[in-house]
Amino acid sequence: MTNDKFATDHLLSSTQQKCLSALLDTIMPAAEDGSMPSAGKMDFLGFILAQAENFMPALVQILDQLDEKFANDPLAARVARLEDFARADKKAFNRLLVRVYDCYYQDDQVRVLIGIKPGPPFPQGNTVEPGDLSLLDAVVERGQGYRR
Amino acid sequence: MDQASNNDPVDVLIIGAGASGAAVAWSLTDTRMRILCLEQGDWTSSSDYPTNGKNWEAQQTGAYSINPNVRGLDTDYPINNDASPIDVVNYNGVGGSTILYAAHFPRLHPSDFKVKTHDGVADDWPVDYETLDPYFAENDRMMGVSGLAGDPMYPPKQPPLPPLPIGLVGETMARGYDKLGWHWWPSDSAIISQPYEGRDKCLNLGPCSSGCAQGGKSSTDITYWPQAIRSGVELRTRCRVREITLNDDGMADGVIYYDKDGRECFQKAEVVIMACNGVGTPRILLNSKSAQFPDGLANSSGLVGKNLMFHPVSVVQGVFEERLDSHKGPLGCCILSKEFYETGKDRDFVRGYNMQIVRGSGPLTTAMQGHASGTIPWGPGHHEAFRKRFDHVASIANLCEDLPEECNTVTLDPELTDSNGIPAPKITYRVSENSRKMLAHGLARGREVMEAAGATEIIETELVRPAGWHLLGTARMGNDPKTSVVNAWGRSHDVKNLFIVDGSIFVTSGGVNPTSTIQALALYIADTMKKNLANLFD
Ligand SMILES: Cc1cc2nc3c(=O)[nH]c(=O)nc-3n(C[C@H](O)[C@H](O)[C@H](O)COP(=O)(O)OP(=O)(O)OC[C@H]3O[C@@H](n4cnc5c(N)ncnc54)[C@H](O)[C@@H]3O)c2cc1C
Repeated sequence: MTNDKFATDHLLSSTQQKCLSALLDTIMPAAEDGSMPSAGKMDFLGFILAQAENFMPALVQILDQLDEKFANDPLAARVARLEDFARADKKAFNRLLVRVYDCYYQDDQVRVLIGIKPGPPFPQGNTVEPGDLSLLDAVVERGQGYRR
Repeated sequence: MDQASNNDPVDVLIIGAGASGAAVAWSLTDTRMRILCLEQGDWTSSSDYPTNGKNWEAQQTGAYSINPNVRGLDTDYPINNDASPIDVVNYNGVGGSTILYAAHFPRLHPSDFKVKTHDGVADDWPVDYETLDPYFAENDRMMGVSGLAGDPMYPPKQPPLPPLPIGLVGETMARGYDKLGWHWWPSDSAIISQPYEGRDKCLNLGPCSSGCAQGGKSSTDITYWPQAIRSGVELRTRCRVREITLNDDGMADGVIYYDKDGRECFQKAEVVIMACNGVGTPRILLNSKSAQFPDGLANSSGLVGKNLMFHPVSVVQGVFEERLDSHKGPLGCCILSKEFYETGKDRDFVRGYNMQIVRGSGPLTTAMQGHASGTIPWGPGHHEAFRKRFDHVASIANLCEDLPEECNTVTLDPELTDSNGIPAPKITYRVSENSRKMLAHGLARGREVMEAAGATEIIETELVRPAGWHLLGTARMGNDPKTSVVNAWGRSHDVKNLFIVDGSIFVTSGGVNPTSTIQALALYIADTMKKNLANLFD
């Protein structure tokens, strides 16, 4: 145990935390026009602990491959570093990616921004347009199309 | 062996509580016989289904995966798909695979029952569309089917409920089909568009394939089973059948199964009906070896487990500039096209395919699929690419008729077993040349429709791997015991008190989703049994 570990609610060292934040902002930076937040704005650690706890060791392993330099690098350099990682260990990278996306797109604010209702699908449901069934007139006019 | 007290002999023993097991159980309640159904899985609860939570998409890759090898529940059995480009998917529990199915509910066409006569391939069925017509209608009523009468690609039929909304996805695609002068029609769907039989209507949640939290989707746990149980059928869950046993007269006399505590039990029965689906049924028959049937029960033809048919699927996805609200509404139930369903003289393949319009996915799936296909990057550019695609897509799934070939098989895996030690099924399957040509034709035609509908970008998938939804042909019907396993009403040629009612008995696959036809056949078989009760085994 290193001495910069926080107690129970902070499972990561300060370096790991900085790297995590940079990692998230690299995978999903904020939209250039400011319309979408970056993944670093989400409570990713809280999400992992609540919904994917068994991913924690893998996450720590990824973070341990990064350092303060990564955290301070400009975006382009961080992207290049992650591309190397993705190439070297596609499976591990994909496992990380799916968790980042999952956390991000479960966020109610994000959901509203992409045009879907906050919260779970049920029981709210959705309204779907009936659609213009008069478009079928042409189909009916062509007549029977099946063989006996 | 433990002969538990509740294992008193029954008149009819049904194995499997899915689409066909439920229908046959309900129909036979008229007879007042003692009917028992053994099901290896559990009841599911709508309040547990993923769409109750925000993490519903992630749950689809775990406990609610369509792939039993991924779910890996105690109630599942593993399936070896290594020798197949298509993975078998299913659900094991009360309702069977209808718990996770998309509920696209077309019937086979009249011509599907006569492929040899029409096209000189495979075999004609020993039953026809006209015979099944009243059973299709009865099943539509029991399940609660929504649709629009008047489709010129079928003989007249009247779904009990009005069609589901086709939405912007359906309308956009319909305009494309109209431009080309091609057929399209709102899908028949086993999803209720209005309150029906005590169930509330579909809420357009979207992801039907992880269970319907609303209960608007007609899975058999909420349609047939409550009625069958009220009428006296006993449904025993967590009972996994290992083998069917024979008496000295060569008749089935019961089954050996494992109960929920793993105890081996024997259940005696006068009649045994198999409803374990096109993989589960041959598995248990092949595992029921005896001196009389060293190659598996009811297998004197050697055809148990052979002629496995899926429906190979290719997909064309279109990206549209305008928002289509793609994530809203039942994923697989929108509109369809039968333009290329019947054999065309100008084509290099026989038979045909259904073009099923599929709506869009949720955000996580959109992002991950975009990552896999290289269309939505992570990093800078993610949001822009995501915004272009999410809710802006429509897809065409070309569901191709698969012709029977003896080399496509379900056999017993020599090593892999389920948690009770029963050998797991091994799938050996190849996509035929005819199917490959059909898949390619579907891609080219799908592209034309997408262009006509105004898609700005088109993405093609040649063959979908997790598409073994439809499990057919592995204990086919026929009049000749040498070339079929069961007769025209599902009775084994070899064992006169053994019946099969699931998708195994299909002679050919047709080019549409099979469940409506599986259930109509199950009702027809039950009815024929009832008519022949006095001399059922003659
Ligand atoms: C994701 C998905 C989407 C689908 N979409 C559609 C669709 O849109 N339209 C359509 O028509 N079809 C669709 N299907 C297929 C449809 O679900 C099946 O055609 C239908 O359920 C088959 O009915 P069945 O009675 O043959 O078998 P099932 O419904 O699979 O039932 C078999 C039952 O037998 C039980 N069983 C098996 N072995 C044993 C044993 N040894 N002991 C005790 N019990 C046993 C199983 O647990 C299961 O409950 C889909 C399937 C899936 C998985």
